[in-house]
Amino acid sequence: MIKGAHSVIRSADPDDAGALKSVYDSQTPRSSLLDQRRELNPPTRDELREVMSQKEMGKAVFYTVEGRDGEICGFCCLRGLNPEAQFSEFVVIFLDETTFSTAMADEVFDFLSRLAFERMRNHKVVTHCLDSETEYRKFLISHGFESAGVQRDVVFSQGRWFNLEALTLRAADCTFADRRATDRGAIC
Amino acid sequence: MAIKTKTFIRRAEREDLDRVVAWMEDPDFQLFLYGDPARSPKQIREQIVSMLGRSSAQTVPGGLYLIIDSAEHGPLGLLSLQNISWRNRSCSIDLYMGNKEMRHKLTAGISFYRAMQYAFEELNLHRVNAYIYAFNEASWMILERMGAVRELTLPEHVARDGKLYDLYGYGLLRHEFVAFKEKNSHMVEDLVESMTGLNSEPAGKREKAAETDS
Repeated sequence: MIKGAHSVIRSADPDDAGALKSVYDSQTPRSSLLDQRRELNPPTRDELREVMSQKEMGKAVFYTVEGRDGEICGFCCLRGLNPEAQFSEFVVIFLDETTFSTAMADEVFDFLSRLAFERMRNHKVVTHCLDSETEYRKFLISHGFESAGVQRDVVFSQGRWFNLEALTLRAADCTFADRRATDRGAIC
Repeated sequence: MAIKTKTFIRRAEREDLDRVVAWMEDPDFQLFLYGDPARSPKQIREQIVSMLGRSSAQTVPGGLYLIIDSAEHGPLGLLSLQNISWRNRSCSIDLYMGNKEMRHKLTAGISFYRAMQYAFEELNLHRVNAYIYAFNEASWMILERMGAVRELTLPEHVARDGKLYDLYGYGLLRHEFVAFKEKNSHMVEDLVESMTGLNSEPAGKREKAAETDS
């Protein structure tokens, strides 16, 4: 369990399935919920419980992000670890997209990027966002992610096509919170 | 416009298994295709063997393996349409010319053209994806000539021989393929005409290998 000033990050457990289900049920399509075919196929709560009861889903560990009051605010993980090319997919989901502009999101970024670059020794992380995920994209860009391009008409949902952007962050370009604070002139 | 050549594509059958497995064991196959280390070569092999070994065709399959065949030379290569999404009307394509003598742009180009015809005009897809390693210039040049757009450049994304290489993601939309066909109808005819005897036979022995009808 990682306790930050604004969040608590812990391994997900089956009781979190309801919160994750609510993300699937929201009106906004999320890139992180797309399957390999880029389809959104909402699982049932029971299926989510079953998946989340596994301590390790493949090589990915799924984490739940709580506020300091214990309310579930989102989830995060590194998935699709590619050990040979040393990268993995960076995934952050918040129930409320406006959370991406808060200090809680910064703490999640620090946790995941340290996991990717310091513990797992990845040389980069990759993530995706739909053109409708404007808050997520702002969050990624503000933390140093760079666009690797946009795939057109990838997802069909709600009667329209969505584009899917891929973004990458190299270890060398990653700035952790303590470094960011220093850069801003804070006294450490 | 229909194009008739001596090369054609067909569903892969059980009898193709040994040949396909032999192609897959060629180092080139693993160099140019299926470099996704998240899936081991063994997993890929098992998947293809499983797909080829199926006796009954699914009505809405998630993937198709097709053989590029030739009456003159026999099976030339493998074409796979993977991750077919009937909701998004999209798929990913891989093309591998197993017969090295036939591994040149014309045969590969015609095969790719046929695959696009199949994807857009038979399967009614909207988008075809192709992921190609940056060092495989011959392949991505074919896609670009057919109007596919390089949408992604993922830096240092695939490991080969201890080095990291970029991965390109291409997308071809249905209307772009239609535009290519309309704009290049004469070129396609010429291309097919030029395939006459292109199969590395001496010029004197070349036969007319392609015919075009409208």
